[in-house]
Amino acid sequence: MSARTLTEVPPRPGPYVRLLRAVHGRAYPRVIGVGRDKTWTFYEILLPLLGTFAFVYVYRALHAPERFVGYVIMGGATTAVWLNVMFMMASQLWWEKKDGNLELHMMAPCGLLPILLGMSAGGIFMATVRATSVVVLGSLVFHVSFAPTQIPAFILVFVVALVGLYALGVALSSLFLVWGREAWHTTQIFMEPVYLVSGFYFPVRVLGLATSAVASLIPLTLSLDAIRQLLYPHEHPKLLGVWTEIGILAVLAVVLVWAARTLLMRMERRARADGTLAQGY
Amino acid sequence: MATDMKVLATGTSVAPRSRLRTFVDTARGGFWLGWKIESNWTDAFRFLTYQIARPVGGALILVFMYYAVARGNRGPVLGFFVVGTAFWPLVLGGVQATVRGVLEDREAFRMIRPIYTSPISYRAYLLGRSLAGQAAWGSAAVFVTLAVGVIFLHIHLTITAASVALVLAATVFGVAGILAIGLLCVGAAFSTTHDAWQMPEAIGAALFLICGAIFPLTVLPAALRGFGAAFPLTWWLEAVRRVLLPSNAPRSFPSFGMPAVFGMLVLTTIGGAFVCAGLFSLAERRARRLGKLDRETAF
Repeated sequence: MSARTLTEVPPRPGPYVRLLRAVHGRAYPRVIGVGRDKTWTFYEILLPLLGTFAFVYVYRALHAPERFVGYVIMGGATTAVWLNVMFMMASQLWWEKKDGNLELHMMAPCGLLPILLGMSAGGIFMATVRATSVVVLGSLVFHVSFAPTQIPAFILVFVVALVGLYALGVALSSLFLVWGREAWHTTQIFMEPVYLVSGFYFPVRVLGLATSAVASLIPLTLSLDAIRQLLYPHEHPKLLGVWTEIGILAVLAVVLVWAARTLLMRMERRARADGTLAQGY
Repeated sequence: MATDMKVLATGTSVAPRSRLRTFVDTARGGFWLGWKIESNWTDAFRFLTYQIARPVGGALILVFMYYAVARGNRGPVLGFFVVGTAFWPLVLGGVQATVRGVLEDREAFRMIRPIYTSPISYRAYLLGRSLAGQAAWGSAAVFVTLAVGVIFLHIHLTITAASVALVLAATVFGVAGILAIGLLCVGAAFSTTHDAWQMPEAIGAALFLICGAIFPLTVLPAALRGFGAAFPLTWWLEAVRRVLLPSNAPRSFPSFGMPAVFGMLVLTTIGGAFVCAGLFSLAERRARRLGKLDRETAF
């Protein structure tokens, strides 16, 4: 190695390049991990899918119309996304803290936000693979076919909902950053109660307008209702029109992205000041 | 334990305890530790709120699914849902606490080496952890979910001294079945890396289907029905439902009488305990041989 090389300062990449590199770096293990260790397909797709099937059999026991089976399968697919948001976004910084990796993230010269963006990108990929598997396997087992009526609207709902959900995940992760053991217990409280108010397995309209309106603060509620309207345009008891729901979801996504950024900065400052950054338990 | 310490301090020898006594004491120690870990992270009110939110949420999902189809009509199947979801948190709590106990000892607290090498029965310790999980996650949920069913959904439950005694007797076997399944999951967790954290939830979801937790097994395909009948949890829920619900409630095994259901519960629990204990031993020996018992995977 020449003396010139040792003393030469490499050109500093610009902020956007650093951002993209950080996003790529954090998304990489999640994207690659999907294909590398196949055991996750058993624990994260096949076994949870059986739990979803249980709800199909509930409707079978009630002699419900076939579209209810479709509701459950779409609910099962959404569960995959929600679990990813809760366990691999919201509680991820807590896991990192517990395992002693958080200090490494904090010292990286890119800030936490690009790292969380990378996590979101990788998480969206993982969740999409899992959700698609649920839909495909569920359709094959129960002979349900899905034919969305307006493909652009369907894609738009999906995209806007994912942005909102992962922004919510980042916002929650900032709370988890200052929490200790209560973080794990909080993920538990976000399971069945959220499945209930968001209408994972039944039309949310059944809950009544007031409850549905409050539940719409979680992007899952309106996105599921919109998707069901697009799948069963004539039979589904809708909450609002599809385009109204897409509009509300878009506003929610913007608000949640802003909230995520603000909360993350505040909580990071607070965790540094209180000395809880490295406190796993 | 305090007496033992006093005896040790004075230098006299400790009287040997029977194997059973040692086993029970270890399980008690595991329970105490598990209970502290599960419960002392917050105050009592918040703890209770967290413990009941999930099961009550689960029960209400089924209630609204029912109303979405039945449009307000009440029927005997509603009681079937409520009783199933009331008792299910015992399963989730027991399995989750056992597996999480091992994983936290291995990955987070890094205590698995001193615990495993101490002169105690590791199984007894795990059983204690599982019982703590069941007590923390399931005990309040059972009562609250049943109370919600009776008060708000007007479900008729047969509550007499005899029925309570029968439910308790069935639950003893149910809890034994949960302990056996917990051991089996720990055996699998020994050889599983980061996926082990998701395992309890995933196993719970699979059992939810197979054991007919929320629907009568009669709607399952015949092969799955036969598979489900091999699990003590299936017979436990069936026994509890038969005791608590009126005779017009749906049944998973309509051709079986009450004595036959209890007989199958005892039989499958004993069989399941032997099978799970055997598989746990095999998995434990394999993990020791391969050096996996204390291998950290969260890097």
